[in-house]
Amino acid sequence: MSDVVLEKVSRHFGDFVAVSDVDLRVAQGEFVTLLGPSGCGKTTTLRMVAGLEQNTGGRISIDNEIVSDAASRVFVPSERRRLGMVFQSYAIWPHMTVFENVAYPLRVRRRPADEIRDRVLKTLRLVEMESFAERPAPALSGGQQQRVAIARALVFEPKVLLLDEPLSNLDAKLRLQMGDEFRAIQKRLGMTTLYVTHDQSEAMALSDRVVVMDRGRIQQVGAPEEIYRYPANRTVAGFFGTPNLLPANVEACARIDGGRVRLDVAGSGWRGRCEAAIEVPAGGAVTVMVRPEDIRISDGADDDGLRWSGRIAHTIFRGATIRAVSTSTRPPSAATPSATP
Amino acid sequence: MTLSADNRVSELVAAPRSRGTAWWPSLGGTPAGRFIGMTLLALLLAFLTVYPLSMLLYGSLHSTPPGAAGVFNLDGYRDIFTQRNLLVLLNTVGISLAKTAPSVIVAVFLAWILARTDTPFRGSLEVLVTLPFFIPPILTAMAWGMLGNPQVGLLNQLFQWITGSTASPINVYSYGGVIWHMSQYSIPFLFLLIVDAFRAMDPSLEEAARMCGATRLRTFFTVTLKLMLPALTGATILSFMRGIENFESPLFFGSPAGIHVITTDIYDSINQRSPPQYQYATAISFVIMALMFLIILLQWGLLRGRSFQTVTGKGYSPAVMKLGKWRWATFAFCLLFFVITVVLPVGQLLIGSFFKFFGFYDWDMLTLDHYREVFGSDEFWHGFGNTMLLGFMGATLTMGLGGIVAYISVRTRWRGRRLIDAMAWLPWMMPGIVLGVGFLWGFALLPHAIPIYGTIWALLLAYISLGTPLSVRVMSSAYAQLSFDLEECSRVHGASWLQTMRHIMIALVWPSFAVGWVLVFFGIMRELSASVLLYSVNSEVLSVVLLKLWANGSAEQVSVIGLLMMAMVIVFRWVQLRVIRKWVGAL
Repeated sequence: MSDVVLEKVSRHFGDFVAVSDVDLRVAQGEFVTLLGPSGCGKTTTLRMVAGLEQNTGGRISIDNEIVSDAASRVFVPSERRRLGMVFQSYAIWPHMTVFENVAYPLRVRRRPADEIRDRVLKTLRLVEMESFAERPAPALSGGQQQRVAIARALVFEPKVLLLDEPLSNLDAKLRLQMGDEFRAIQKRLGMTTLYVTHDQSEAMALSDRVVVMDRGRIQQVGAPEEIYRYPANRTVAGFFGTPNLLPANVEACARIDGGRVRLDVAGSGWRGRCEAAIEVPAGGAVTVMVRPEDIRISDGADDDGLRWSGRIAHTIFRGATIRAVSTSTRPPSAATPSATP
Repeated sequence: MTLSADNRVSELVAAPRSRGTAWWPSLGGTPAGRFIGMTLLALLLAFLTVYPLSMLLYGSLHSTPPGAAGVFNLDGYRDIFTQRNLLVLLNTVGISLAKTAPSVIVAVFLAWILARTDTPFRGSLEVLVTLPFFIPPILTAMAWGMLGNPQVGLLNQLFQWITGSTASPINVYSYGGVIWHMSQYSIPFLFLLIVDAFRAMDPSLEEAARMCGATRLRTFFTVTLKLMLPALTGATILSFMRGIENFESPLFFGSPAGIHVITTDIYDSINQRSPPQYQYATAISFVIMALMFLIILLQWGLLRGRSFQTVTGKGYSPAVMKLGKWRWATFAFCLLFFVITVVLPVGQLLIGSFFKFFGFYDWDMLTLDHYREVFGSDEFWHGFGNTMLLGFMGATLTMGLGGIVAYISVRTRWRGRRLIDAMAWLPWMMPGIVLGVGFLWGFALLPHAIPIYGTIWALLLAYISLGTPLSVRVMSSAYAQLSFDLEECSRVHGASWLQTMRHIMIALVWPSFAVGWVLVFFGIMRELSASVLLYSVNSEVLSVVLLKLWANGSAEQVSVIGLLMMAMVIVFRWVQLRVIRKWVGAL
């Protein structure tokens, strides 16, 4: 059971609270992403798991072994936690060759030379860098450095893999490719992975579960689709895509199957039906989230969703989609239909 | 890649799963070990910097020479307030100002030529222009003493031979001579400090000014120079401080002409007066330190809030100005500077070493006797051995100490790191001669069980103390360039603190260590002012041997030794440029 458990983990810098009461349980082989805007505490959380930062409150255990407990002053230093980590800057040591970089975790563990050569070459083959083994590290491109960093993190089969925004320094095309490759390797190796990013599309594409953080606290934990469909609050909703948020009042409320609730709502000049996680009494004020891709531009009444009319002010061509911005006396909205209207 | 990922993964999974258990004890991590280490380091630094400083205070209040019984009084300070000393103070400040101003102008001009124009052979010229900085000042002082001697100097002889007159227009034993000699060092010093600022400046800032309609000249004055101002101010103040600390130039060219500055006054009151006036010398040491401290305050005041950020580390290729025909004029200017500051003095030493008597240059006076004499003299070999031993040991220990202090102050958040950093910085405001006086008192007052006084170790300790601010600076900037990720990544992947230090940090900063090492070695080889106070029989270093020979009038032997030292300088500088520059771009 290579799971990572965080119980009430906090980190204070003086008066400043960087991370507050984080509870998280990562199962064996699971790919969990910490997602949030910069300064939300996601990197600090990862660094506490790595042992690069000491938590001022709570307990962290890896593989059923407590590695850091603020109450009983247990603190296992980074090097004894048997982790692999990919840094945002890749942290490729410039004075070593590719081979030496990848061999480092094995060398400090005093493995025999032939085993080191075997495993380094196998891992380099895994990231398709075997032909670069003797290259000096500074002579690599960003994508190649990233592969080396991943190889180095994988070479000694760590219990847990930590990744701190590993794709953020790559260009858009390479980012997609590396992300896919990375997920494929992780799935096959079945390695427990904690991944930090501020890019929501990256988080959705890669993760089994996403942890949305803001101002040092966990806002929501769930599968990507769950978070996308049913955000727990406005912050989470705002973080995924560019939804339209409409203030409205509840007119009626009814339970439907699956524990969800159907609300009849009315805004200024529009009314309709939507889903909610909790019951709201009639007359209560709510915010209705409408994702642009769910909006259909039509000329007549058809289904029982929300409906309002307005004039399209302008459209923006985005390649696969077209973004339409409408103005009216009613709520401003943006629609991004995936098909032509 | 995803297609074949499965095969590759299965290979990896099949790898042997045995794991090593050879964990190193993480010494750096345990609080107790850290505390002991920090305490030892603080004590060592206190002995090297705080101790001589406090001994200065003690000595300035003590009526008799070090080691003798006496009373405490304020006579030393009372003696300072004389009219003569006002002149000494004015001389000190005035000479330093007079040499700094023209030096800055020449240095900016040289930096601009070599960094921002298409002058031919810029790479070689840069090496030549900076060479004077690395030559021990005592050598050029002696060479210029011969070149510019009013009676028999080579320059005057040339002038008389060309014009046919009997006048001797050049006399280096004057204010002009002191300033002239100091400038030869300030110009390359300033150049080294500012040239990278010129080189690293983002050219788009200048291009923007050009696009707004400014001419080249206007751009230079309103943008380039303005952006350089913080770097330039810092360098100028540093150069001014060095002028106040300077010992060789006023000793060689000022003292014979009756021009005294504070450093030579300290030297004279200990070495030239009978009985030596230690209390006075110590008290006046405080005056020069107060002066230095005021300048440092001024520097902090001026530079606070100024950003050096326009000069970034990015690899810009600076816009090079096309000079057309004028590039040969700038080339000639650089070459002329090299000829005057290096070729003339070295040529004089070369000529001086082969003629029987300095000043009488006839074919039948040619001889190799001086070489024989020097190589047959025990004194020379002794001094040479001492200088080499002190140079190698001193440079290694100084850089080691600097590396540790810099690591703690830059890379850790340990308690007490600021104290250690401040202590290591303290010698920065102590000129060599002042530190020499402080250690003189300090060693004399040590218990007799610690016989440092009068040994070579006294010099070693003084050299380490003098070199520490530089070594900390060099190593700090080396550490500051390394991202913390490099260190942390090693820890996460299983290396202990010690292993990380060895494989990552030391491996990465050692080129800077080597650069610093050579600089400190140069510093030790040229050091005169502290050595002349702390040497005794059997612990003479080369610079002291030279000074003694010069005082005895053996200018010919001085030339021979000078040439040998010059050869060493060139070899070391060549090694530094050829070998070390491949690893780092610094200096």
